[in-house]
Amino acid sequence: MAPIPPISASTSRWAREWTGWVRGWWQIIHVGAQILVLAMSPSSYRKSQRIVMARNIYLATAPLLPGFTVLSALISLIIIRIVIATTLTYGLSQYALELLIRTLVLELLPLSVALFVAVRYTMPQGKNVRDMRSRGEFEALWRAGGDPARDELLPRVGASVFAVVLLAAVSCFVALALTYLNVYGFRTWGAAAYTRSVGQVFSPVVTLIFCLKTLFFSLAVSLIPIVFNPPKEEGDFKGMNVEIKVLARLFAVILLIEVVSLVGNYY
Amino acid sequence: MDSSNQSPPPIANLELKARLLILLLVLLLLGSVVYVLVARGAFERTQQLVLVADDSEGIVVGMDLTFSGFPIGRVGRIELSADGNARILVDVPRKDAHWLRTSSVFTMESGLVGGTRIRAFSGMLTDPPLPDGAIRRVLRGDAKAEIPLMVASVRELVSNLSALTGPDAPLNGSLRNVQTATEKLNGPSGGLGLLFGNEADARKIITTLDRTNALLARLDALALKADGVASRTDALIANADKQVFGPTGVLGDAQATVIQLNGLLADARNSLRKVDAVLQEAQAIGANTREATNDLGALRAEVEGSLRKVEHLVNEINRKWPFARDAELKLP
Repeated sequence: MAPIPPISASTSRWAREWTGWVRGWWQIIHVGAQILVLAMSPSSYRKSQRIVMARNIYLATAPLLPGFTVLSALISLIIIRIVIATTLTYGLSQYALELLIRTLVLELLPLSVALFVAVRYTMPQGKNVRDMRSRGEFEALWRAGGDPARDELLPRVGASVFAVVLLAAVSCFVALALTYLNVYGFRTWGAAAYTRSVGQVFSPVVTLIFCLKTLFFSLAVSLIPIVFNPPKEEGDFKGMNVEIKVLARLFAVILLIEVVSLVGNYY
Repeated sequence: MDSSNQSPPPIANLELKARLLILLLVLLLLGSVVYVLVARGAFERTQQLVLVADDSEGIVVGMDLTFSGFPIGRVGRIELSADGNARILVDVPRKDAHWLRTSSVFTMESGLVGGTRIRAFSGMLTDPPLPDGAIRRVLRGDAKAEIPLMVASVRELVSNLSALTGPDAPLNGSLRNVQTATEKLNGPSGGLGLLFGNEADARKIITTLDRTNALLARLDALALKADGVASRTDALIANADKQVFGPTGVLGDAQATVIQLNGLLADARNSLRKVDAVLQEAQAIGANTREATNDLGALRAEVEGSLRKVEHLVNEINRKWPFARDAELKLP
């Protein structure tokens, strides 16, 4: 049986963990703000930077686009069929369109896109960045006259934001088209009524919340895995994988954004 | 060696591909904005309809005004008027405004499931169209408002049922009486005992039934006798029939007599015709006699005239002749 640590030792460890937790969030906010400032700076879009940015945009988006489009189409199709069949069974088919648009387009697809891009692009890129830091490449870049935030972090973050927004737009378009096809078939007579239903859902407030949610999802997915660099720890969490810590923070932020958007939409 | 130290593998037409991706994103975003604007009716020419309700609960901006199940308008604003009523401002596209007439009726319904719905009913589509900015009162029907009344009714019903099914309830007493009646039915006196309440009266009924049976037997015998009488009456009628309608019956003689009478009548008719002719001749003779009588009158008048003339002549002769006598009377 392991000996019980003294009270002073456990208190200091708790204080150390708390300090590390706060420091980690501060690091994300601070560096994230720097990157956002850099993103709005014209010097970040010089020709040399544009090539790097284009490369990252392509690498972040192109490999994910076909796979995620097919995956989201399949998931959307299943959900559409379930919702339509259920609403028909209970005689509530008039609410099917609104229900589908609200669940798929407003809630599920942006969340899926954020998690997909996080797992497939930003978390591997974050690991690369942490490896570069540990190898001292950032200091070398400083010494060579470069700016690691501008040259290494900003292209990755920008590419992630772009990937999230593009995948969300494509998947929402596919979901809307599949919903129409499932309800009306390959005919155009229902387009006016369908458009009207979409318009009813996308009130100005809902549209604003949807856009802000997608934007904050993309920022969370881009900044947290790439910017967060947890310090080396001693104690019980010493062996915890850094990727899990990043994922935990990312999930917490995504959950918070989702809850806030739900509160904004429905309260 | 780490991969980050190596130069990244070249990507063919990298900038073009990145531009295409950016273009795709821009197109999708612009298309989404335009589509949502179209869906929200931003490019439609509309006219306004103001619906006045005493309560705007359940009405939200953006909800539809439907006509025959089709959306023809959209709630644009809700405001509280100076008189405390809710003013629901509905934007109706011009292309759909012809469904609304001056005689249209507007209702606001809240079902048990789903939100509130605003409906328009136009009974007379030949009436003048509803003008822009028209103000109409909306009729409200709320199914949820019926729930408290329904719950109160159900509660009252349950209390009534409890009172009915209680141990001292009349229904319970009735059921006990039914049980007693059933026991009597199953008893030796059966249903009659249940009806009359005692066995003596039931026995009287049975005695009455026996007597009735005996009476019916006697009635049967009487009916048999009546049958015999009827058969004899039938034979009598058959004989009478033979006498009257048989070949030598009375009816044949009567027929011959009638034929003879017909012949006599024909003879009499001929005789009468002859008498008619004689009478006509007599009439003619009468007429001739009348004429002759008239001629005799004239002749008599002429004779009388001639006699007067002769008398006058004689008188003249007597006067003129010497041997005429003095006819004058001389008084002493």
